[in-house]
Amino acid sequence: MNSAQFEIQVIASLVAIACAIPGTFLVLRKMAMISDAISHSILPGIVVGFFITQDLNSPWLILLAAFTGVITVALVERIQKTGLVKEDTAIGLVFPALFSIGVIMIAKNANDVHLDVDAVLLGELAFAPFDRLSVGGTDIGPKSLWVIGTILTITIGLLIAFFKELKVSTFDPGLSASLGFSPLIIHYGLMTVSSVTTVGAFDAVGAILVVALMIAPAACAYLLTTDLKKMLGLAVFFGVFSAISGYWVAHWLDASIAGSITTMLGVVFLLIYLFAPSKGLIAVMYRDKQQRIEVSLLTFLLHLKNHSEERERHVNHLNEHINWQKVKSETVLDLALKNNMIVIKKKIVSLTEKGDEFTSQAIDYIITNEDAQIEDMKDDFFLFRG
Amino acid sequence: MNLQEYFSLVFSDYTLRTITLGTAILGAVTGMLGSFAVLRKQSLLGDAISHAALPGIALAFLITGAKDSNTLLIGALVSGLLGTFWIRGIISKTHLKSDTALGLILSLFFGFGMLLLTFIQKQPNANQAGLDKYLFGQAATLVESDVWLMAIITGICVLVMLLFWKEFKLLLFDADYTKTLGFNTKIIDILITTFIVLAIVLGLQTVGVVLMSAMLLAPAAAARQWTNSLSTMVFLAAIFGAFSGVFGTAISASQDNLSTGPVIVLVASVFVIFSFVFSPSRGLLFRQIRFISNRRDLELQKTLSFMYHIAETHDDISHPHTIKILNNFQGFTRKTLQKLVDKNYVTLDGTMWSLTEEGFETAANLYNQNIKTHE
Repeated sequence: MNSAQFEIQVIASLVAIACAIPGTFLVLRKMAMISDAISHSILPGIVVGFFITQDLNSPWLILLAAFTGVITVALVERIQKTGLVKEDTAIGLVFPALFSIGVIMIAKNANDVHLDVDAVLLGELAFAPFDRLSVGGTDIGPKSLWVIGTILTITIGLLIAFFKELKVSTFDPGLSASLGFSPLIIHYGLMTVSSVTTVGAFDAVGAILVVALMIAPAACAYLLTTDLKKMLGLAVFFGVFSAISGYWVAHWLDASIAGSITTMLGVVFLLIYLFAPSKGLIAVMYRDKQQRIEVSLLTFLLHLKNHSEERERHVNHLNEHINWQKVKSETVLDLALKNNMIVIKKKIVSLTEKGDEFTSQAIDYIITNEDAQIEDMKDDFFLFRG
Repeated sequence: MNLQEYFSLVFSDYTLRTITLGTAILGAVTGMLGSFAVLRKQSLLGDAISHAALPGIALAFLITGAKDSNTLLIGALVSGLLGTFWIRGIISKTHLKSDTALGLILSLFFGFGMLLLTFIQKQPNANQAGLDKYLFGQAATLVESDVWLMAIITGICVLVMLLFWKEFKLLLFDADYTKTLGFNTKIIDILITTFIVLAIVLGLQTVGVVLMSAMLLAPAAAARQWTNSLSTMVFLAAIFGAFSGVFGTAISASQDNLSTGPVIVLVASVFVIFSFVFSPSRGLLFRQIRFISNRRDLELQKTLSFMYHIAETHDDISHPHTIKILNNFQGFTRKTLQKLVDKNYVTLDGTMWSLTEEGFETAANLYNQNIKTHE
């Protein structure tokens, strides 16, 4: 690993951290698509800034482009307030229009602008180490490292300073407003940080892939925890992990670094989406199935309790009367037997003492409309779950 | 080439005719299907799908090695549908919200697509150039067979829409009711979604991944302002879409260095802004005018009731009073006084005014009504 490779990985990791922090709050505030809108609509800001400064890494360009991002958010809210269209339509109308203006501005001035739409959208991390910053003749590292490092420092500073405010306003906007934190200032503050981060990162990973770095790590973390601090930590971890592993995938395939970082994020998300312990797809489907069987079991036990006549309690009767398929009735009978809730004598099913007690309590909860209590009760009674 | 030349050439020149027809048809079909997307509150789905189609294009090329646009479109369709259903899966199976799901699929698929595209570019295959036109679209690459394909698919869309019009409409406005009527909502839903994906995929070659969502939204959002009827809205959206296509092509053809996609999007945005401002029933302009005239009416009534209170204290209701005593009254001007005279509520005599019988009656009733509504 030579120094250029090392620098690329450091830059990618810093970008990932800088994106993951505002991204977490965007995901929690249900504003993830705003980051997509910002990442597109900063284009005209970048172009105008480039006309003025002639330098993609100039702080003025970053501020100007970030300002365009904030304008986008304000514009979306303005359109939404007219009540003519819904919020998502407003987002979808604003950013393509601004992006088009940017593309046309680039196309019209193609001769004297060394700015490529592809470069803005996709970025090229591989070239980042060659654009170096020197102070007084001494080389102090790549420019984009300094840019993103500064942004990250500011972001972390703001995060620590306003953590409490951000937390309250994200989870309980009403409470935060009544406590005296202006929701507007926090909202636009977050939007400004997101815009600045997007602009600072587009040079390295491209405007669209910034969206991936903002949303994907936060979404992964959200599937694993419900604690804000842990979620921030996990998002940062996933971001950095994907950034570094993505770099080596790109190295191996000889393809776009930004593309492979995103692909790694995709792989990580897919794994977590499938296998997350309590919120992953498999866990959710397993729980759904378990609950379906347990509800059937309860219905079955209630049926037994209601009928003392033998005809109603015959094993074969289950299929006819409750209209379950054979497989299902077998699973339910099996579960009931395993939990010692019924006994079967000469194909006649009857409740045991334990089954009777369980059913009576369940009826009590159902009558008093406290169905949720049944879940806790299951823990006391069940030896085996469905 | 200026605009006039363009319109004289559009019927004779093969390239111009093809591109114009292509963008017009594309605008019409996306406008039509976009209406459903907008009304179903899935406006940003288009954005996600168009990005999600990119890896499909790249994979189709990697597998077949051919740059035939139909093959690539099938790849785009498959990956677009995959993205759509994954979005659904994320929303229904996890606690992640729709915006997160859309943003996730959009960026992850797009990033994977970019990885594949850059990977393809490094391959020793001369055929690979030009795949990146799907990013921003190049209307100039449209050929007659592409336009035919668009026309055929648009025809199928229209046919299916007419056949299932009732079902589409029901599902759009009352999904639960549709279910209770015994329709298979899942199939209708999949049908609409598939057509939306199809329309988006068709547009990729012309407008490109990034701007496709605007093609879907803008005509529909503009049409929504002019009507409250679904059929009119779909029809209007198709017309707006088609005109955006034609005007966009015309403007971009008449200038150098102007790619078609962004211009079409900007033309469509102009349609939207125009509709937002000038629509008679919902537009901002007429709403403001209505607001002002309502406020004037209210102030007129206030003045009248003020006059009534003065007149009430006199035995003779038409006892003249000086205009001066009205001067401190909010909203009072010479014009509003003249209006009252025009309505025959007040008579003027020099600097004196007096209520007429009619004005007194009206004011008395006004007052009663106010009390009634107040209770």
